Amino acid sequence: MELTSNQTHPAFPTLLSGAVHQESEQTRSQAYTTGRKTVGTPFVDKPRMTCRDVEVYYGEKCAINKISIDVGCNEVLAMIGPSGCGKSTFLRCLNRMNDTVPSCRVVGSICLDETDIYHPSVDVVPLRAQVGMVFQKPNPFPKSIYDNVAYGPRIHGLTKNKVELDEIVETSLIKAGLWEEVKDRLLEPGTGLSGGQQQRLCIARAIAVSPEVILMDEPCSALDPIATARVEELIAELRTQFSIVIVTHAMQQAARVSQRTAYFHLGDLIEVGATDKIFTNPKHRLTEDYITGRFG
Amino acid sequence: MKVTSILAAGALTLAITAPAMAARDYISIVGSSTVYPFATVVAEQFGKTTGSKTPKIESTGSGGGFKLFCGGVGVNFPDITNASRAIKPSEMKTCAENGVKDIIEVKIGYDGIVLANAKSAAPLQLTRKDIFLALAKDVPDPANPEKIIANPYKTWKEVNSSLPATKIEVLGPPPTSGTRDAFVELVMDAGCETFPSIKAMKKSDEKAFKAVCQTVREDGGYVEAGENDNLIVQKLQANPDAVGIFGFSFLDQNTDVIQGSIIEGEKPTFEEIAKGTYPVSRPLFFYVKKAHVDVIPGMKGYLAEFASEKAWGQDGYLADKGMIPMPQDERKKYGEVISSLKTMEMK
Amino acid sequence: MHTTMETPATTTNLLHPSKRLRQRYRAERWFKRLGLLAIVLSLAFIAFLFFSIFSDGYTAFKQSYIALDVNFAAEEFTQAKLAHANFPGLVKKAMHSMFPEVDSRRGKKELESLVSPSAAYKLQDMVEEDPKIIGTTQKVWVLAGDDVDMLLKGKIDRKEKQSNRRLKDNQLAWIDRLISDKKLEQKFNWNFFTAGDSREPELAGIWGAVKGSFLTLLITLTLSFPIGVASAVYLEEFAPENKWTDLIEININNLAAVPSIIFGLLGLAIFINFWGLPRSTPIVGGLVLSLMTLPTIIIAGRASLKSVPPSIREAALGVGASKMQTVIHHVLPLAMPGMLTGTIIGMAQALGETAPLLMIGMVAFIVDIPGSITDPAAVLPVQIYLWADSPERAFTEKTSAAIMILLTFLVFMNSLAVYLRKKFETKW
Ligand SMILES: Nc1ncnc2c1ncn2[C@@H]1O[C@H](COP(=O)(O)OP(=O)(O)O)[C@@H](O)[C@H]1O
Ligand SMILES: [Mg+2]
Repeated sequence: MELTSNQTHPAFPTLLSGAVHQESEQTRSQAYTTGRKTVGTPFVDKPRMTCRDVEVYYGEKCAINKISIDVGCNEVLAMIGPSGCGKSTFLRCLNRMNDTVPSCRVVGSICLDETDIYHPSVDVVPLRAQVGMVFQKPNPFPKSIYDNVAYGPRIHGLTKNKVELDEIVETSLIKAGLWEEVKDRLLEPGTGLSGGQQQRLCIARAIAVSPEVILMDEPCSALDPIATARVEELIAELRTQFSIVIVTHAMQQAARVSQRTAYFHLGDLIEVGATDKIFTNPKHRLTEDYITGRFG
Repeated sequence: MKVTSILAAGALTLAITAPAMAARDYISIVGSSTVYPFATVVAEQFGKTTGSKTPKIESTGSGGGFKLFCGGVGVNFPDITNASRAIKPSEMKTCAENGVKDIIEVKIGYDGIVLANAKSAAPLQLTRKDIFLALAKDVPDPANPEKIIANPYKTWKEVNSSLPATKIEVLGPPPTSGTRDAFVELVMDAGCETFPSIKAMKKSDEKAFKAVCQTVREDGGYVEAGENDNLIVQKLQANPDAVGIFGFSFLDQNTDVIQGSIIEGEKPTFEEIAKGTYPVSRPLFFYVKKAHVDVIPGMKGYLAEFASEKAWGQDGYLADKGMIPMPQDERKKYGEVISSLKTMEMK
Repeated sequence: MHTTMETPATTTNLLHPSKRLRQRYRAERWFKRLGLLAIVLSLAFIAFLFFSIFSDGYTAFKQSYIALDVNFAAEEFTQAKLAHANFPGLVKKAMHSMFPEVDSRRGKKELESLVSPSAAYKLQDMVEEDPKIIGTTQKVWVLAGDDVDMLLKGKIDRKEKQSNRRLKDNQLAWIDRLISDKKLEQKFNWNFFTAGDSREPELAGIWGAVKGSFLTLLITLTLSFPIGVASAVYLEEFAPENKWTDLIEININNLAAVPSIIFGLLGLAIFINFWGLPRSTPIVGGLVLSLMTLPTIIIAGRASLKSVPPSIREAALGVGASKMQTVIHHVLPLAMPGMLTGTIIGMAQALGETAPLLMIGMVAFIVDIPGSITDPAAVLPVQIYLWADSPERAFTEKTSAAIMILLTFLVFMNSLAVYLRKKFETKW
């Protein structure tokens, strides 16, 4: 009946029992897939982020059902699964983006380098600087390319002067593989770039504040194949410095860019494993069905 | 942060204005819209020739003027109120209750109320009885004058066979206006009293008398045309059958397009009204708060300007504007009231 | 065989639409025509309105002046103060000397009435400005009386019977002589743009009302814009969603529909009777109009905040901006054009309002140009209302001219709103 939870986070002994349990009891009777055990290898050595027994509710509705998984250092973790299975919801828990949804409630523990990010005294502002995010639709600010990248460093006060800021902007754009294309028009609006360029600008913006983890929610779904290939290359390069969690619909993409892949199904984490294993030899029937295209 | 600074600026604006209410260096006048065209001329003349601030004049109607005037003593209350009727005892009482005890009453002249129609139609020869019968809600039954019936008259000819057979359609002021009060009192009451049975009622049952004499018909014969007399003049031009009711000054300014009706054989001309033979004329007043005379700058100057011959005299500029001047002895009497600041007796 | 039968059938169908299809097109055509008709009709009404106002009002921009040879004789200025000199007497003398043949008292009075009473003020101003002219004779262009002006503008009919005319035959003769002597001319009416209200139509100007409107709107803007924007931002971005915020929202929407005179009553009760602010002043007018425009600004502000794409908010939050930073750095600048549009439209509404001002005493005869927000002032629509109600015929054209000026301001403000919207709306 109980989900696998090898460890309970010491910060939340109460949250994991008591009231929460009663509620999950109730919701579980409504959801038709409950209590699935995650197969494969959700945990790694020396994780960057650890998620334990994470449950997410939108009002009464349970969108994520007791998930436990680690995000390793310098790895790309891909999350796949049919639409509406909670990939975005889970991803947005990792930098507390869900705080902006009033009805959303997160239970369980999510730690970034041993710090529980849902602890009441944790400030989301530095958290989001450490766990950056790139969205499905490129969303540059309607400001100049320079200001787009410089915004994060500015509000976090990362630089002392203009020279330093210029440097950050340049290195971020170089890392995002955009520098050559835009170096002559840094003051033109970021919204004037092509879709693929915009998305790389958003990546540059995210890495300008030197995060530890970058979350990407279907970053290529609005891009054409060439732009997609460019962003995929970029992800591969970025892995050397950051941990990346990427949600994707394209299984080939997951196969190309990620080291580990997690398969979600209706709020449950069904299977996690090394990418090549998952795609060649899935252990769970649902995973197999999905990747062989039988449903989803 | 920007927002807060803007808010602070707003609050500051409010704070700065607070001390400004301590004093007032201009005269504040309220009251009758009939007196307004005359008082404003005097005020302007006073302002332009003495270099004092020009008094501020609001046209609030006589009743509205008294309400403000009697609100109290102090810079927040007007210094003078104009009226096209004398102050009522009830208003005196309100004044007294609010500490406005010393009031100076000044009569300034007369205003004729005229009935007029377009030049394109024939002039009307009316009596006040005709007007009463045409405009009252209920009238005595022609067959049996003891009995009061709903007004059956549709045309002027039905009222009086010497009048034309045009539909009764009178444009006049609404009940809030001083002109309406005066019209009811001077025309309707008088016309009403020509019936002996109703006249008898005045003694026995004043309420019923008022109900019969002062209620204006509501079936379309009388149209309330708002306070804008210019509009009435325009409507008369457009509709030769219609008759309008307004102050003499509007007839005076528009003699080329409208003509005054003859009432009881008297034409509404400047001379007839001044002589007092034209029956429908009323006195105009203003009332001064004595307590303000020495406090608000320019009060004495304004009063003196009003009471000068060049203003309210026989050939004064107020007469040019259509006000009917008082006779010599009345002018003298009220001139003295002003110079001695003689207050009214409080009843 | 079968197929060849069918092919022509479909072609005919395409070439000759079915009855149903034809009906659909007919309905469409009718709908278009009705829409067009409505537009044409309303344009025609507007054109008619503009035409009638313009044709009534354009003459107000010219005014008749009479040239007088005024003798500032030294013996007239023996009083201690220059202001006490008999300036009207100087004007009269100058008129009499032009027409020495007029000797009857009545005739003289009729002659004097050709000149505006303001002529005396003008002489007074001249002397006070430069006392050296005392003892000289000066040619002075002074305003003609309003009746003369109306005659020159063709608004008094010479053919009318003398008794029905405001100018008598002898006056007409004098006027004709003045015209042929080139001593009576129409000049551009600068005075109309620089003077305050007056009971003499020829002297009345719009500047006092323009300034009054400006000061009033200044107060309205400085209060309602920041408060409106702050409320909109709070309600849209920060307020929790609960019964109370719902209630506030409903009430704000209701307030926008409350008849404006109610705000006047409220202003009278609070600002004048309770706070003791002075009646008839732009500060009170501005406060009252702020109350009136606030709902408009808040509603427009919330609508434009809502239309800022959520992706921008997410982007800002995603790099670690706080809620406040997100709103101020990103959401507000994007919503600003919409908010400004709402504000300008609210301001334009406020500019055209008279009803609430009636209650707080701004519908008043005020000659002096207001210098500050605590001086008594009228506003443009009030000036129009007052002039429309004045007995003198010559105020008709002033009324129309004032309406033209008010309309100019309104058109300007609304175009500014459209311009702002156009300029900023395609930014993302
Ligand atoms: N803001 C929200 N309010 C309520 N329910 C939501 C909200 N966002 C997502 N959900 C629900 O949560 C579930 C998971 O959604 P999501 O995480 O967006 O799925 P995915 O990204 O895997 O397609 C869905 O059933 C969706 O309807
Ligand atoms: Mg999603």
